[in-house]
Amino acid sequence: MNIVILMCFVFVSHFTIANEKKAFSIALEDKKYYFSALNEFFIETYNKEILNDDLKKLESLLYYTGIELLEDYDNHLLLKYPTSSTRFILGRKAFQEKKFKSALDHLSKIHPDHRYFPEGKLIEAQVLQAQNKIKERDESYLACQSSAEKNESSAQNDKIKRYYRMVFEICLINKARHHFKKEEYKEALSAYDRIPKKSYKWPYLLLEKAWVYYQMGDYNRTLGLLTTYKSPLLDTYFFPEAEYLAALTYFKLCLYEDSLIIVNQFYQFYRPRFQALDLILKKNRSSQNYFYNIMFRADEELIKEGEFVTQILTRMKKQTRFSLDFNAIFKIEQEIKRIEQNENKIIKEKLVPHLEEVRSNLLTKINYNAKTDIFQFLDTIPFISQELYKLNLEIISKKKDLVYFNKRLIADRSRGDYSNVTRSRFEYFWKFDGSFWADELGDYSMGLKSNCQTIRNEKVEEESL
Amino acid sequence: MRSMIYILCFYVMSEAYGQDQKVIYQYKKYEKFDLGNLEVKGQLIAPGDISVRERERRRFELDLFSRDNFDPFLTKDLESLR
Repeated sequence: MNIVILMCFVFVSHFTIANEKKAFSIALEDKKYYFSALNEFFIETYNKEILNDDLKKLESLLYYTGIELLEDYDNHLLLKYPTSSTRFILGRKAFQEKKFKSALDHLSKIHPDHRYFPEGKLIEAQVLQAQNKIKERDESYLACQSSAEKNESSAQNDKIKRYYRMVFEICLINKARHHFKKEEYKEALSAYDRIPKKSYKWPYLLLEKAWVYYQMGDYNRTLGLLTTYKSPLLDTYFFPEAEYLAALTYFKLCLYEDSLIIVNQFYQFYRPRFQALDLILKKNRSSQNYFYNIMFRADEELIKEGEFVTQILTRMKKQTRFSLDFNAIFKIEQEIKRIEQNENKIIKEKLVPHLEEVRSNLLTKINYNAKTDIFQFLDTIPFISQELYKLNLEIISKKKDLVYFNKRLIADRSRGDYSNVTRSRFEYFWKFDGSFWADELGDYSMGLKSNCQTIRNEKVEEESL
Repeated sequence: MRSMIYILCFYVMSEAYGQDQKVIYQYKKYEKFDLGNLEVKGQLIAPGDISVRERERRRFELDLFSRDNFDPFLTKDLESLR
């Protein structure tokens, strides 16, 4: 009898404590301290049986905080909470770790009406691509596009609309990329052309489209697309690969002097600056906040070496990833401020240190991403330098051939003619008058004739005789 | 018998002495050719057309980078989302 009374007492006391704890997380949520409430929610529930109400509550908290905070959480803990948000995180993690089966398992359980469904389908398509399941991959891309469009139309603010538009476009662009890989160039172009010029992705696609035209042998269109990067509107988009492709295309047209101008410009102007930047940035490689700080205030030393880093940083700031992380930091700072202003000392001491820690983690994450992006960009320089060097050797070799065979190219520097411009009936045509107009961007084409025809050097022959 | 032994000893000693002596070989110091006296039999003809036939020059073409897929871009785009 005594044992039964004792057991009842333990149960009641336990329940009361649990309720108090639960009340605390609810109280925090009521006061709109969402980040603190999320932390308290996990403390309250991690060692208990998870009920449907708990899952609903978790989803409602994550709606405000975003899922970025959960990325560092242990998988076992996340598995205890089978919500669409946690499944999305687990699926994404599994994909990054190349555990494709597990990734598909998690991603397939995301509810079709959930806000992460379109992005989940995008990841799923990439998993299926890795498994070479082409038909299923295409179905996932289609589901991604249709769900992203649906979510975009019902989104409440512009930021969320932009996010879904971005997911939609990435799914579409990936399809174009798969066509390109299969040498289905026309299909690739028609997918690329569905991306409007005002899209954030559009400047990046110019390079990809230029490669498509290059592989199709339409060198004039390749050069025209790459010229678009010279527009003042796109001055933040500098890609060493675009310089290489332009030089390579001139080489294919046997316009060796034009090709050499690009090669020399790269060696004399860009490469020394990139090397100087590399040295400055490597000094700060282990810093926890240097790259975060330069996103807001560029280092004087960096500015001296050119605008490249500022340009890379501007591009990064436009990424959804940065926007989400920075938004989370902003919200956390607001929450800390409100707690500092409105709560007593005990509550402050309980909540603020955790929020400070979360803020610091997000800051480190942004710093890490910025550092990775900058160094990935700088790492492309040696490769492109090497390829340009090879191209330079090829040009010298071709010129030697001409001397050896006592020949010369049909023209020293062949200039354009409208007759050399190939275009479909859907493509516009404007003459370039020395200035870039926004509506023309991306539709340029050179009118250069291939200079590869050679003629015998008669004069030299006569002289030698 | 004793005289035979003396003769044999003498012979052996003389042979051993002979082996130590250096043999000097002498080559001809020079040989004289009188080119004026040389005569080549055959027909005298005028110098003809000396020409080199054009032949295909061996070229080593470098393998220039040409992009055939955008696979790295797929991952990069996904990472740019979050």
